[in-house]
Order: sequence, then structure tokens, then C-alpha cells
Amino acid sequence: MTPEITFPDVVQLAVPFFIAAILAEILWIRLSGRGGRYETRDAVTSLIMGAGNVVSGILLGFIAWGFFSVLWALTPLDLGTSVPVILLCFVLDDLRYYWVHRFGHRVRWVWASHVNHHSSQHYNLTTALRQTWTYQFTFMMVVRTPLILIGFHPAMVLFVGGLNLIYQFWIHTEAIGRMPRWFEAVMNTPSHHRVHHGRNPRYLDANYAGVFIVWDKLFGTFVPEQDNEKPDYGLVRNLGTFNPLRVAFHEWQGIWADVRQPGLTLRQRLAYCFAPPGWSHDGSRAMSEQIKASHLARNPQDAGTPGF
Amino acid sequence: MPLPILIVLVACGIAGIAWLIHASGLSRARTFDTEDDARAAWGREFPDLPAGTVTLTAKRAAALVMTSEGPGLVWPMGSDSTARLLHGSRAQPTADGLDLRLPDPSAPRLRLILTQDETQAWARIIEASKARHDS
Repeated sequence: MTPEITFPDVVQLAVPFFIAAILAEILWIRLSGRGGRYETRDAVTSLIMGAGNVVSGILLGFIAWGFFSVLWALTPLDLGTSVPVILLCFVLDDLRYYWVHRFGHRVRWVWASHVNHHSSQHYNLTTALRQTWTYQFTFMMVVRTPLILIGFHPAMVLFVGGLNLIYQFWIHTEAIGRMPRWFEAVMNTPSHHRVHHGRNPRYLDANYAGVFIVWDKLFGTFVPEQDNEKPDYGLVRNLGTFNPLRVAFHEWQGIWADVRQPGLTLRQRLAYCFAPPGWSHDGSRAMSEQIKASHLARNPQDAGTPGF
Repeated sequence: MPLPILIVLVACGIAGIAWLIHASGLSRARTFDTEDDARAAWGREFPDLPAGTVTLTAKRAAALVMTSEGPGLVWPMGSDSTARLLHGSRAQPTADGLDLRLPDPSAPRLRLILTQDETQAWARIIEASKARHDS
């Protein structure tokens, strides 16, 4: 087994860069008059959510670390810490990210944690920091199990996960249009990720990638940004509060209220937890498939175009 | 990074960014200049439920929207907007309008600035909607 291994906490080290980049984006928008929008309460909420995410990681990170340590003790495999192994770990962890992110949009239990990241109606660098406080409660750390069992050290897995998060920071901007074609073909970019944050029916449940957009192309979830349809950012039903506690916990509250409704079967109660967001036992709400179908009923000319 | 330095960095960073945005004049809440503005904001949240009669507040800071499923409200969220149907809502008069409680954790409470006439009229509509919802 590899002896005591440590990797830097790259997310914490990146905090000064995050602040500097946000200031630069604000100045760019002011000076150029284009490239995005800022609003005080929205940005402050996003930044507080980011700070809370770091606190949550410090307070609850031991749960994931304990789980990974058990897996590491169980596995007889150890791939070491060479540069090629770290690179391979980064790529495979990005595949892991794709699936966790996809679950985050298709399983309400995971959406309850991830929804806050989509709750801003703005799309700027502060939106990147609008992160969950409740990730540990989703138990999505289990998706990293294969990585550790095949011999990637837990510290390395967390290190590349941090790099993944840092990569995703810069793509939360309207200040960059499109990158060179070869880059757009392989990498996640501001253009691809704007689509992911769009609440337009066309853009729902698309572009889950973290770093490499190829996963979306491989698994059929890629939708290119349309020049004639600007993403409308936010949630299908936008929040009516900037209170960070509400932002962090509202969907969990919603799940709790739904499963306690009288007269439901056990299957229905479980579906309120684990079915896609928008599921309801009486069909009174709409999931993304129904939202898209409803859009096509109003706009039949969009049938067969990207996202439909 | 030592924790005390991280805390100071984050606190100063948030304060500095907030000040810069505010100083840039980007704290002003949206208003609805016309009924069509409010109608469009409603349609953005409820594309399948057309707005009927739209009543703007005197300060144009919110609008009451009548729909086939009952009354709804559209209001600013910073420079943007959101909307909800008022099913199950409770309205409490205040000195300058209504304190509205919605049965929705994603939009639980709203303080509306209204004239006295608006306060009485809106409270009646919201109470009637609640009564219909409860029955």
C-alpha cells in the first residue's frame, strides 16, 4: 500500500483566484457594457452559498473520507501516484462527475442538494460558487467506489475532484462567447454550460459534463447552444427568496411535505423522493419530458431541432 | 491555507464584491412598467396558464394576475421576477400593505407595499382563493 499520501486542498487555494476573477468579470461588464449581468442580492446569496459549501465540507467531509478509507483498506490494488495515474484518475473522475450530475437532475433526492446551484436567474462567475450545503446527504459519494477499489488513492480522488470543480468555475460566464472549434468539440465550455443552466424547454436535462463534453455526446445528452435561442437562466419555477437557508433547504422541505401527504401508497411516497423532479402522484406537476412536450404543442415547428 | 486566513479572505471577498456591485447601481429591484411587462413575467413562469386580468400595484412593484386556476402574483426577484398561484396563501394586513405567506418553501413569504384600497381589495381576493382551496 502507498504510505501516507497528501494532496493540496486546491479548492481552498483557488479562493483568491475566484475573488480576483469575479472582480475582473464585474469590471469587464461595466467597461464593455456586455458579457453578463450582476445583481447585488443574487451575487451575495451565491457567495454565501459558496462559503457555506466550504463550511459543510469541513464539518461533514469526514463522512465521505471515512467511507473512502474503508474502501481503501479493503482493496488489494494500489496504482500509485505517478503523473499518468493522476491524469487517468482525473478523466475517470470526470466520468463519475457526469453520472452524479445526471442523477442530480433526474433523481429528486439528489436534485434537492443540487437545485441551489441552478437557483440564480443570473449566469456569472458567482453562480459557479452557488454550491450545495447538503451533498453528503445524497450519498452520491458511493459513485466514487469503483475508482478507489481499482486502486486510486482516496486523497488523489478528492484532489482531482477539486481540480474538476476549479475547471468548472470559469465556464460560468457570459463574457466568453465560443472557444475555438476543437476546444468546443472536446471540452466543456461557457457555451455548453450556459445550455445546462437554461430553463428553456429545449435546454432542460442537457450538458451534464464537468470537464469533457464528450460524455454528453457519448451518452446522448448534448445540446448545442442555439444562436437564435438565448438561455433563460434559473429554475422552471424560480425561487421567491434570497435567504441562503431557504435556497439550501427548500427542496428537502418540499420532499418532506410531499411524502407526509395523507393517503399515499408507500410506492408514491418513495417516488416523491427518488422519481425525477416534477413527479407527482396526481399528475398536477410537470417533469422535464412533459415540459418539452407542452412546449412542442405550442411550438410544433421546434420538433426535431436540438433538445427536442 | 490556514483557516483564519481563509475566513478573512472569504469575508472580505464577499463584502468587497457586494460593495462593488451595489456601488455600480445594481441593487435596484425590478418594476413592472406596464401590464404587458407583468403578463410576460407571468408567462415566463406559467407558459401553459395564460394571464387574464392583470392589476399592477400603484408602485408597479408587483401584479395580481387572474387565471383560470385562480389568482396569482408576479413580483420582482432583484432585477428579475418570479410568480406563484395564490392557492392556500394567507394575507395579513400591515401598516403599508400585506404580509403574504405562501405554502411553498421556495417562496414562503412576501411583503407587498400597497395603498389602502389595494390592501383591502387584494386581501379579499386572496382570502376568497384560500377559501376555495380549503373547500
